[in-house]
Amino acid sequence: MWSCGFFSAIALALICDSAGAASGPVPDDITLELQPRVCTLSANDDMCETTVRAQWRSPRDESLCLVIVDRPDIKRCWESFTNGVYNVELSFNKDLTVELRDPELQQVLASETIAVIRQALQLRRKRRQPWNLLY
Amino acid sequence: MSSNRHKWVFNTSMAALLSVAFCAPLQAAPVSGCTVPSPDCVEVGQFDFSVSLGIGSRSNPVMGESDIPLVVIPQISYYGKRFFLENLDLGVTLYEGRSNTFNLLASPGYDRVFFYRNDLQNFFVSGATGAVTVAAPTDKELYQAQEFEVRPRRTTYLAGPEWLFQYGNIVGQVDALYEVTGRHDGYEVRAAVAAPIIQTEHSLVVSGGLTWKSAEVVHYYYGVDGFYEPGAALSPFLKLGYTRALSDRWSINAFIHYERLGSAIADSPIISDKGVTTAFAGVVLRVF
Repeated sequence: MWSCGFFSAIALALICDSAGAASGPVPDDITLELQPRVCTLSANDDMCETTVRAQWRSPRDESLCLVIVDRPDIKRCWESFTNGVYNVELSFNKDLTVELRDPELQQVLASETIAVIRQALQLRRKRRQPWNLLY
Repeated sequence: MSSNRHKWVFNTSMAALLSVAFCAPLQAAPVSGCTVPSPDCVEVGQFDFSVSLGIGSRSNPVMGESDIPLVVIPQISYYGKRFFLENLDLGVTLYEGRSNTFNLLASPGYDRVFFYRNDLQNFFVSGATGAVTVAAPTDKELYQAQEFEVRPRRTTYLAGPEWLFQYGNIVGQVDALYEVTGRHDGYEVRAAVAAPIIQTEHSLVVSGGLTWKSAEVVHYYYGVDGFYEPGAALSPFLKLGYTRALSDRWSINAFIHYERLGSAIADSPIISDKGVTTAFAGVVLRVF
């Protein structure tokens, strides 16, 4: 009974250590900045069509990739760099999230979002005129 | 009550209503029940221009005048936050709710359409019509034997409060108007209700209502100085209207409208018909 519990504890410790080594600690000193920060759609606009500029910095060399959530066609990677800039023409109609991930794309290192704001349509009731011939 | 007293009461009431109009905040969109653009809900600040193309006519009850053809009927509307313009009507909204709306309205007097073919209201067709009458044969013969001085009927505008309401599928309108362009100082009340009979992709709506015109209005259009001095007139009407949307821009529209002229109008020596019938069928193009 004692030996069974001992080996179980060791096995659990090994599993936990192995999992930790695979993911590694997530650095919190990588900064990501996006331009624009918001996109405002007027009543007549359906999509934000703009050049998105993503710039990242790190105090040490990093190997990482920039990806956009729900846009698998866009990916830009750097190997052993302390900073990077990526400009891309995009068309989108909902919030756009840009992420920096490790080269295997398993861990999110930094993330920022461009918010899409729709200008509220101001509506009012049209006159309903049963007295009118064309009502 | 004298005409000046009428004017004073009207001007005081209008001043009070205008104060309310420009001082009170307009209710927000959710109160009006408008959340998405629709035929009943329009975008603030946007001009709408539609044109109906078809065939129709409005009968002319004035003796010796021919019927008025209806072929092209433009419709313009603009809604600001408070201000609105609909063809020749303009006004400000005092209160807009889910069931009730109160406006201050300025609207042209309609009866002129029977005397001047080029009256703008023969292009921007709207409103119930105004004249009618049946003269007894003996009277007609008598009138035809006499000559009447033809005096001009100027363009007039009436102004006053308007109440629009909706309870279930029934829509109603009541306007209480006073002539403000200094031609006859008359009053007019316009009231009507409408209810859908069919409301699928086809829409069939029946409307009924009345127009009450004070003696001043009736006299201005249908009186004959020193010979025929009419009183007030109450003219009921009935209308059946059909529409069907074909696309976002195109729709089909047809209606038939009959107004029976009040006796004070119908008894005028210059009137030869009991009522006014207006009918039209065509397509409507929403230009923008």
